[in-house]
Amino acid sequence: MTKAIVIGSGAGGSFAAMVLAQAGWRVTVFEKGPNHFTNLAGPGPFGTSFGNDSLAMIVRNYPGPDPEVFPRTWRPNDSAPAHYTGSVDELPQGVGGGTVHWDAKVPRFWDIDFQQHSALGPVTGADIADWPFTYQEIAPYYDEVEHLIGVQGDVTKLPDIVRKHAPRTHQYPMPPGPQMRSSLAVAAGAAALGLHPFPFPMAANSVSGYNGQHACNNCGFCSSFGCPVVARPSALVPLRQALRTGRVRLVPETMVTRVTLAGNKATGVSWVTMTGQGPVAGTETADVVVMAASAIETVRLALLSQFPDRSGRLGRRLMLHAFIDGSAIFLDERMHAHRGRSVTQCAEDAVDPDYPGARAFAKAHGLPYLRGGLMELGGSQDPISEAQSYQTLLGFVRASKPFGTEFKQLMRSSVLRDRLAGCSLIGHDLPYLTHTVTLDPTVKDVFGLPVARVTWSAGPHEQVAQQFWIPKLKQMMKQAGAGVALAVPATLNSGGVPTGNHVMGGMMMGTSPATSVTDGYGRVHGLDNVYVADGSVFVTSGAHNPTNTIMAVALRNMRHLAGS
Amino acid sequence: MPASEGSTHPPRRAVIAAVPAVLAAATVLDGCTSSPGHQPKTYRFFTSHQAAVVEDATARIAPGPADDPAEAGHPGAREAGVTGYIDTMLAAFSHGEGQPPRIFAGGPWSNRHTSGPDLMARFVPLDPLATVAWRTRITAWQDQYKKGIAALDKLAGGDFTRASHIKQDKILAAKSVSQFTSLLFEHTIEGLYASPEYGGNRGLAGWKDIAFPGDIQPRGYTPDEVERSDGHDPVQDTGIVADVLKLLGAL
Repeated sequence: MTKAIVIGSGAGGSFAAMVLAQAGWRVTVFEKGPNHFTNLAGPGPFGTSFGNDSLAMIVRNYPGPDPEVFPRTWRPNDSAPAHYTGSVDELPQGVGGGTVHWDAKVPRFWDIDFQQHSALGPVTGADIADWPFTYQEIAPYYDEVEHLIGVQGDVTKLPDIVRKHAPRTHQYPMPPGPQMRSSLAVAAGAAALGLHPFPFPMAANSVSGYNGQHACNNCGFCSSFGCPVVARPSALVPLRQALRTGRVRLVPETMVTRVTLAGNKATGVSWVTMTGQGPVAGTETADVVVMAASAIETVRLALLSQFPDRSGRLGRRLMLHAFIDGSAIFLDERMHAHRGRSVTQCAEDAVDPDYPGARAFAKAHGLPYLRGGLMELGGSQDPISEAQSYQTLLGFVRASKPFGTEFKQLMRSSVLRDRLAGCSLIGHDLPYLTHTVTLDPTVKDVFGLPVARVTWSAGPHEQVAQQFWIPKLKQMMKQAGAGVALAVPATLNSGGVPTGNHVMGGMMMGTSPATSVTDGYGRVHGLDNVYVADGSVFVTSGAHNPTNTIMAVALRNMRHLAGS
Repeated sequence: MPASEGSTHPPRRAVIAAVPAVLAAATVLDGCTSSPGHQPKTYRFFTSHQAAVVEDATARIAPGPADDPAEAGHPGAREAGVTGYIDTMLAAFSHGEGQPPRIFAGGPWSNRHTSGPDLMARFVPLDPLATVAWRTRITAWQDQYKKGIAALDKLAGGDFTRASHIKQDKILAAKSVSQFTSLLFEHTIEGLYASPEYGGNRGLAGWKDIAFPGDIQPRGYTPDEVERSDGHDPVQDTGIVADVLKLLGAL
């Protein structure tokens, strides 16, 4: 019986474990973080310790990783050492990975994303390439993922541009749930501008009983929160299927520190876990190792394991999406975005390089094309985050006394929460060889291992795309009736540190070992039995939430590995 | 919505206006040191003087009726028990043998808008890595509080609590303590707007003042509550609100 080790239990690792276990393999899943769920292997619904708790989830970082023990470092470019140490675009660390706190939005990448070089041509300074497969080949895997994890949406409401670039043959498994007031308000503005908003496909139950789980009851604590009623089981669906084969051992709170190599083969892994008495280390052997620790940590592990790198691309082409944060402030109405599923409408017009005016604007700035990204229409923030915003703003407008009664007046006005409808744009991020994950030369984690150093800032294309789309976002919000409309690059709000939790690239797939890190099925070039099944294999970034694409690609590649 | 139909879910009430009826229940917490309407008489971390300084300082950051007549009817840090919140946090590892540290409230819900036990009042045991991280962080905060409180006293000529409101404001705005004031502000925000299980937001004072219902599971919201407009409700865009809107509009 073949034995595999899967590193990570999130979007990619859960699908890897399911496919390999269902093919009869024995699988050990190492998960760095804890398990916040009960009854995963048993029948029927399962429980969780996640609640509607902003302090735990947003401020105290319950989903982890805690930067006190697992920091990263960041620098905008490679001209200087990293000057920031802390959280850098972290995904949750725990059973289920990033899917425990996502708001489960599942748009598909477009056909031109998978063939970006042949469809759109090269871009000077970027490393544009095609994926080793087309949209047509991955589409059935998207269908299967949607059916498995349970997605709500309505194919009849998809605009022509989406049908054209991400055609689908099946209706979504469930109809869309209720549409949030803030989303509908901004969607009206989008429509007035000639855009085509529609109900955002989402992997949350709109009907009770799908996967044996409850229906979403629109509690409002969605993005960044674990679902208390587990109406959004996501990666836990394939993980439970894996566990139910009886051939899968899930080992939480255990970090793989090295993939042990002998020549061109992996023999297994070294791991470490923390106990009350200090770290305890060990090893485990396997016939095959599948890495699915998410893009940044998988690259870090490959570097710690001294993988071969013939293409010089290992750890390069990190793509994080150049988000634009938009805020529509409604002065005459409270939009109550605390009721609903974080955001329920989206528009994909800005994904299109042929949006009217985009080609000309790109050309005027020395680019062959520009692409914005999917717009998430509606949503807001929690009161603690809102209050933190006012704390910052009072420092600007009331420098001599940046606190007091006026702080409370701002909280009651709620211009940055209850009157807010967010409009973020998931900015397409080109692959650049200069955007990298490397091992930090000085900063170590709690186990003494070098941490991931992220080198990333918005590139030339991303900056031009933002210049083109920011005024249009503002116009859309004004059309929606917003009294104040603002839109800025998200990094302006974070001091440059990348945000958004969309991490892709570093172990790109490709057909030639000279120009890619993994082969057409995610096997590491130069290593016979090491595979990658997370977002690090992405060749381009799309302009969409990436998680269902991670799942579809992992499903395709692991089926190939298992011969199933 | 169907989430309440499962056998594991207690029945839910029909309207969100049930908030006031469950206020008292919501603040009677498992082993919590605070009780509704009163500051805890003893603190686990602070001395009584330190607690008095923190209470006065956080009341300048988020004043209530006792601190500013303009806030009549609007409870602030003092009324919400922010000092108790901060003390609970700084003593997170000292809440009794066998008690999980008071870092992460449990789940999946409090039943604040429904009936049934408050499942958030049982704190989650920390795993060994989280224990390392939080011991480190809390030790650093304890040090910052000890030094910060001493610095406020010094700037007040010995006792911050005996300074006038105007003088207290000036001290908190002083450059030499700006980092501590910033930390106090962050923790005041948390003590006002975090779930009451953490020792602040007493009687849901923080949430009620901003018309925020807080955690709502397992009730959730009906489709109509999600989709409808709540109607015309213009903001009072004068003073600080106007200034902030002007700044944001210029971005």
